[in-house]
Amino acid sequence: MQRPFRAATSMAAAALALLLLGSTDARGQQPDFTGVWTTYNESGQAPGGGRGGGPPLPMTDVAKQKVAKYQALVQPTGDTPGGFCLGTGMPGSMLGSGGYPMEIVQRPEQIMIVYEAHNEVRRVYLGDRIVPEGDRLPGRNGHSSGRWEGNMLVVETSHLVEQVDQRYAHSDKAKIVERYHLEKGPKAQTVLVAEMTMTDPVFYTAPVTTVKKWEKVPNGHLLPYECAEETWIKHLEQLENKAAGKK
Amino acid sequence: MRFIVLVAAALVIGGASLAAHHSAIQFDFTNSKPVTGVVKKFIAINPHMQLVLHVKDEKGERDIEFEGHSTNNMYRAGYRDNMIKVGDTITVYIAPLKDGGDGGYVTAAQTANGTRFGLRSRAELEQERLKAEGKK
Repeated sequence: MQRPFRAATSMAAAALALLLLGSTDARGQQPDFTGVWTTYNESGQAPGGGRGGGPPLPMTDVAKQKVAKYQALVQPTGDTPGGFCLGTGMPGSMLGSGGYPMEIVQRPEQIMIVYEAHNEVRRVYLGDRIVPEGDRLPGRNGHSSGRWEGNMLVVETSHLVEQVDQRYAHSDKAKIVERYHLEKGPKAQTVLVAEMTMTDPVFYTAPVTTVKKWEKVPNGHLLPYECAEETWIKHLEQLENKAAGKK
Repeated sequence: MRFIVLVAAALVIGGASLAAHHSAIQFDFTNSKPVTGVVKKFIAINPHMQLVLHVKDEKGERDIEFEGHSTNNMYRAGYRDNMIKVGDTITVYIAPLKDGGDGGYVTAAQTANGTRFGLRSRAELEQERLKAEGKK
């Protein structure tokens, strides 16, 4: 009679684990990441999710030269892509995007991730929705395809463009793997853990890894973020002043 | 009083930037200064709130233009629609311009009815730390 007992115990444990780690999707097989998430700061960690700083990255000489050239250009003025209403791009977008929250909308064939800052959007395609290699266009967030490994969502991102304008600079040969799973925080919060590994033979001598954690915001909402509105309003004011004969 | 700490989150976009749309390199975020005046213009917008205050101080009477954190970050630090209206007398807490000129970067505000919202600046956090340690 021990085997049925063990099986029942295992099933009960599995059910309990699912309850503890959040809801599952319609098929009851994978966790549902749908919702609004904000940066999870572990005890002792600076607000902002530990962005910036960090240990030096294992960059190749080529990468170091390109980054140094870029830094020399922008450091005197402090200019950034965000300063021109441009999203961070991968992997910066998935690592916090300025400390603003993100929203995930999960369907079996596609997962939408909206980062509030600059309304940056990533689409993670699964199964038949994955775009064939030859039909993909490169971009700052690349093309992301996903698959489930048990309760772990694995996202592979390719077709990136070269970017020296973020902490994790990379070439267009970079490939990024994110592995997402749910945990419970010390206050019983639902925590989404994203382990990121970036490989890039042009920019790095070894894989670059980091971990980002997000905390679920119960009944959370993203706010609108029209970054270019300020520029448009100022432009209209200039036109009005010009029409009124003012300088 | 709703007054929360979002300093690092609010000041970082794109890895190392202080704010979107332009550099905030001209502001001294190690200092915090209150400025009181009458609201002549206020737009709650991203990436920066826009504010013009009519100010009377030892330098005289004039309009001063300010900008501040994004509306979204201010919302999460207590700001709500119509809290600030033209004609209101308010106090803003700013990171002043490094060159000492008029203007600055609004990190927090106290509205006409005394409601305060915003983010603690690095300077305020440092002042609080020194006070807690009995050094100030």
